[in-house]
Amino acid sequence: MKHYARKPGSFVIYLALPFMFTLLIFGMGRFVSGGNAATYFAARTGTANILVYEMIGSAVWMTSWVVVEDVGVSLRNEQISGTLEQNFLAPIDRATLLVGMSLADIVITTVIFLISVGVAVIVTMPADFAGLLQAYLVLLVGLFPLFGVCFVFSGIIIRFKEPYVFVQIVNVLFAVLTGTYYPVALLPLWVQFLSGLLPQTYVIEDMRQIILANQNLVSLYGNIFVLVALALTYPTVGYGIFKRIEKKAGVTGEFSKY
Amino acid sequence: MGSSNVSRKRLALQVNSQNTNSLTKIGGEFKAAFLKDLRSYVRYPAWLLGEFISTPLWFFFFALGVTLFSPTNLKKSTLDSFNFFYFGFIFIILFSTAVWGIGQSIRNEQQAGTLEQFFLAPVNRVTLIVGRWARVFLTDVLIIGYTTVIVYTLGNERPAMHNPSLFLFSLGLYEIGLIGFGLFFAGLTMRIKSYNTLSNMVFFGYMILTGALFPVDVIPIPFRYISLAIPFTYFIDLMRNAALSTSTILPASIEYLTATILAFSMLLIGFVAFNKIEEQARVKGTISAM
Repeated sequence: MKHYARKPGSFVIYLALPFMFTLLIFGMGRFVSGGNAATYFAARTGTANILVYEMIGSAVWMTSWVVVEDVGVSLRNEQISGTLEQNFLAPIDRATLLVGMSLADIVITTVIFLISVGVAVIVTMPADFAGLLQAYLVLLVGLFPLFGVCFVFSGIIIRFKEPYVFVQIVNVLFAVLTGTYYPVALLPLWVQFLSGLLPQTYVIEDMRQIILANQNLVSLYGNIFVLVALALTYPTVGYGIFKRIEKKAGVTGEFSKY
Repeated sequence: MGSSNVSRKRLALQVNSQNTNSLTKIGGEFKAAFLKDLRSYVRYPAWLLGEFISTPLWFFFFALGVTLFSPTNLKKSTLDSFNFFYFGFIFIILFSTAVWGIGQSIRNEQQAGTLEQFFLAPVNRVTLIVGRWARVFLTDVLIIGYTTVIVYTLGNERPAMHNPSLFLFSLGLYEIGLIGFGLFFAGLTMRIKSYNTLSNMVFFGYMILTGALFPVDVIPIPFRYISLAIPFTYFIDLMRNAALSTSTILPASIEYLTATILAFSMLLIGFVAFNKIEEQARVKGTISAM
């Protein structure tokens, strides 16, 4: 949180990006179909509310962007400043340390959600304001699998040192695969299979269903069940991978190399 | 009379020789700067890999986003849109060269603590930056070519090119403008701490306002005036006109003249601004301050 308070510009960017991407996609859509853009959009997505549909995807994407980048970059900074070994030598569990790095992201995530999705809902469909709370809960559950991704990511940084490249690849992969601006049904079947392995796919889909199709957590129990299963699986597997890399790094002395 | 002619000829030879020497020197500096940057780049294969994986993915990301709005029964319209976005994608990659390629280079050197060493070297600063631009332009061309092959392989879509020589001319103007803009941006890194924030804002502003991904006439009227005040709007418009025979914002000949003046003005302004900011930073001792 101190980092964001010190550099408010980067925080503003996270808040502005969902609006900018939505504007960009909508502008391109308007060019392709002119006045009929909204009609074609509604035919493909089942809703004419372009703003809320796109902002939900944007907000979830930004959330994963913030979490992945924060963990990657902060770990790299510790490596460069030579404090990574000291942190890892402290008598606390590694998982606590790594999750601790991401805890501030819950606050950031909440603000992104309120500014992007919250404002879009209030402006375009104020009567459905109540759905926001359930959508927010889905978003929070979706953070747990992301912690698992971060564990793996931490291992990758210890091993390969270059967080920015991996952040760049992971961010765009998430954007393409999870249906940020389109339903995943548009993707080829084999890509849809990969999408099904990513938690954000369910988060985006569920949030859209709750806010735009008047569904609730109970009626979406199938997706919620998968999301909870991923919330348990990702951190467990991710931590296992991290521990393996960490053990190897301890033998080869990788921690202090950068 | 005869001796005065001889000394005049000698003087002329001396002047020519000095010109040749300084040109050779600049050429040598440029080559050294280009090779230095190329070597640094290939030293980190992860970066190369990252760019080659993520660039086509960004293209598909935008293309899929637009698919939601497109009619399914109009094949002709989809093909035109493909070419429009394909060229927009190229303009964006080249623009990112100026913002992250040229501008960011100063910040990278600052972070690595090597900026002072470079500035102490007996070479022109601008040559160093232009050398960097040349390397980034080379890798951009490779990435564009590679993405084109992928798009063609997956979607059987072939980019159109109506008038290649006019396109190259417009591209040249765009690149001259980009170098000027990049120099200005490189200077800003010595002044502004939140460089990433500024570069992101400028980059998105460019994508939304200059007609890179959709024509400026889609933009609502008060904002369209901003678009028309941005030089890049005209470079993009001319390149599209040359490649796809689209209509131009101004009458074509006037727009070419305007774009030429704008390109060289941008280069001049960028050069002057960079030198001025650098001079101020040297006086204040803030060249390495981040």
